[in-house]
Amino acid sequence: MMTRWIRCASLAASMLLAAVAVASSKDVRLSGAGATFPAPLYTLWVSEFQKLHPTIKIDYRSIGSGGGVKAITDRTVAFGASDAPLNAREIEALGGPDAIVHIPTVAGGVVPAYNLPGVTAELKFTGEIIADIYLGKISSWDDPRLREINPGVTLPRLAITPVFRTDGSGTTFVFTSYLATQSPIFAGEIGAGKQVNWPLGQGGKGNEGVAAAIQQTRGALGYVEQNYAAANKIAYGAVRNSKGNFIRATPATMSAAGEGHSDALKGTVFQANIWNAAGPDAYPISAFTYLIFFRNLDNLVDAADAEAFVKFVRWAVSDGQKFAADLEYAPLSPEVRAQVESVLDRVTHKGQPLSTAK
Amino acid sequence: MSQTTPTPAATGDATARSGPSRAGGFGEAKRSVGDWLLGVLCRSSAGVMIAMLVSLLGVLTWSAWPAISAYGLGFLVGTEWRVNELQRPVRDDAGKIIFRDGEMVTETVPQMFGALPVMYGTAMSSLLALMIAVPLSFGAALFLVRVAPKLRIAGPVSFLVEFLAAIPSLAYGLWGLFVLAPFLQEYVGPTAERWLGGVPWLRWMFYEQVIVAGRLIERPIAMTGRDLLCGSLILAIMVLPIITSVSRDVLKGVPRSQIEGTLALGATWWQSCLGMLRYGRSGLFGAVMLGLARAAGETMAVAMVIGNNNQISASPFAPAATMASLLANEFQDPGEGLHRPSLLYVALVLLVMSLLFNVVARWFVVGKGGGVSAAH
Repeated sequence: MMTRWIRCASLAASMLLAAVAVASSKDVRLSGAGATFPAPLYTLWVSEFQKLHPTIKIDYRSIGSGGGVKAITDRTVAFGASDAPLNAREIEALGGPDAIVHIPTVAGGVVPAYNLPGVTAELKFTGEIIADIYLGKISSWDDPRLREINPGVTLPRLAITPVFRTDGSGTTFVFTSYLATQSPIFAGEIGAGKQVNWPLGQGGKGNEGVAAAIQQTRGALGYVEQNYAAANKIAYGAVRNSKGNFIRATPATMSAAGEGHSDALKGTVFQANIWNAAGPDAYPISAFTYLIFFRNLDNLVDAADAEAFVKFVRWAVSDGQKFAADLEYAPLSPEVRAQVESVLDRVTHKGQPLSTAK
Repeated sequence: MSQTTPTPAATGDATARSGPSRAGGFGEAKRSVGDWLLGVLCRSSAGVMIAMLVSLLGVLTWSAWPAISAYGLGFLVGTEWRVNELQRPVRDDAGKIIFRDGEMVTETVPQMFGALPVMYGTAMSSLLALMIAVPLSFGAALFLVRVAPKLRIAGPVSFLVEFLAAIPSLAYGLWGLFVLAPFLQEYVGPTAERWLGGVPWLRWMFYEQVIVAGRLIERPIAMTGRDLLCGSLILAIMVLPIITSVSRDVLKGVPRSQIEGTLALGATWWQSCLGMLRYGRSGLFGAVMLGLARAAGETMAVAMVIGNNNQISASPFAPAATMASLLANEFQDPGEGLHRPSLLYVALVLLVMSLLFNVVARWFVVGKGGGVSAAH
């Protein structure tokens, strides 16, 4: 009786082991976690990449930029994703700038979204005006400064309700970083960061919380990611850039903000703040979103995993870029793409260069 | 199947006020294996409960320790909740920004955490909720005890009231966000403003003050419907069932002789009801405290409708935040430095506060002699 049980159990165990062995020899499983902003695009990339390489299975969880940085620092994922570039402290926790690869995948923009019934024309804003609205200095839609840059638009006498995000997010980081460059008072009172202390207005959690507050409140002004506003048909305005042109956020104008940056790459870390960019067509509240992984991919079990992963990233920043504009993300410019690909050649596994290197 | 004779302790003495009789009253006469097993099981279950609470307190204190040691009790009176560091322009004595070599001189202001705004928000929203819910609950409880039995509808009405407690808080939140808040924004806020806006001593209700770079700006509060009032109304609905059902049990316990006595002395129906309330006051107070504990700890529904602004504003039309809503909003992906420990410190304060409410409630409903106690 007993021996039969043992025999059965050992048979089952050996079958299980065999199954695992077969699966591992065939499939590569990789996981990543982080920013919510690029999540729709990353999900699309994964499914498109899988059509080309059915044996490589990638799983991306959008848990927020902070969570992504924590996950890669704890080495529980193959890659982390963050909307805000890592700061010196975070890079140090990962082992220093030489130990990691920090590259942009696409650019995106944050837009001033509003709810003004009866106003069909697209409104224009400047960074300074948006900053003063959030500071409480401008409290009504018919403020002379708003009327001045919106000639021909009948602005109602309606209180402005500023709407902000309560959770830590790359969106808030980009938006506040830009406003801090436009208003020293904003920089000193509210400041830049993933989460800041707003003196007034309504808070919502996530893009959806902010969008709900905007859509339900007459006279609300908030900030959401451009592709979220476009997908949910929320009205948003154009913002004056550093050349004095009022630019509406589109994949083309956000890409224009990401052009140049030949000096942004230091070793294997590419960081560029592209808000308030210099180009005449550049949308001013734009930013890259980043992938972070180890230069020596020892957190992956074998070289095949590391090669599959690099293959995916290389595909994402080259062929994958054509999917970006469909989802209203801005593709990388050719010179940025060239820099990113040169970094990928330097990735190793257990100190050995990968066969995917060119 | 062997029948064991019930011991006096097991039958339970209705008149005993001294609580559970003897320690270890699991039948002393005949100890079977089953009795012994049950005793061990009961004791270890109780032990697990206590261990859970103690470990909860311990873990919270442990992980909040960086914030506790950095801010101490000053955390409870701090009004600023700021995750980011500031680069604040340095100003001279005249208030002008100082420039050196064409560059603005700035100083770094470190991150700062203080819990007073959310403690204030929790206290105000809970108090407002109780002010709305307590009269309604007592009225409903009196109805259930005095009127409903005669109409033979006590059962269905009790069921409906208790059913309110079974609705998930997310459902209340969605209802508040999509039905109540727009209604408040559209009708209640503007109506209040039209009638009361001109009253000089009610100005605080409709204007807020913002300090920008040292200058005070007064501006009208925008009526958004997602504010302290909306949060309190949702809380009121959520605490109604618990206050109603506990106070119904308290009022049921008022001796018949007491009611008949008041009526015999010529009391009107209303006066005898008042007598009932007075007789059960300690139990009723306990019911209110249980409601308060629920209101203070309520999370999701409140976070959806209260506006989520960590500010102290006297106006019910201003957005606010509670301790629980702050945790719901920020805990998922906390920032650097002392942000996470500070959030855990808030959780610790909330836990200690809720414990105090429950202890006080228990003291009044069950513990204290005199008055009427309710089986709870």
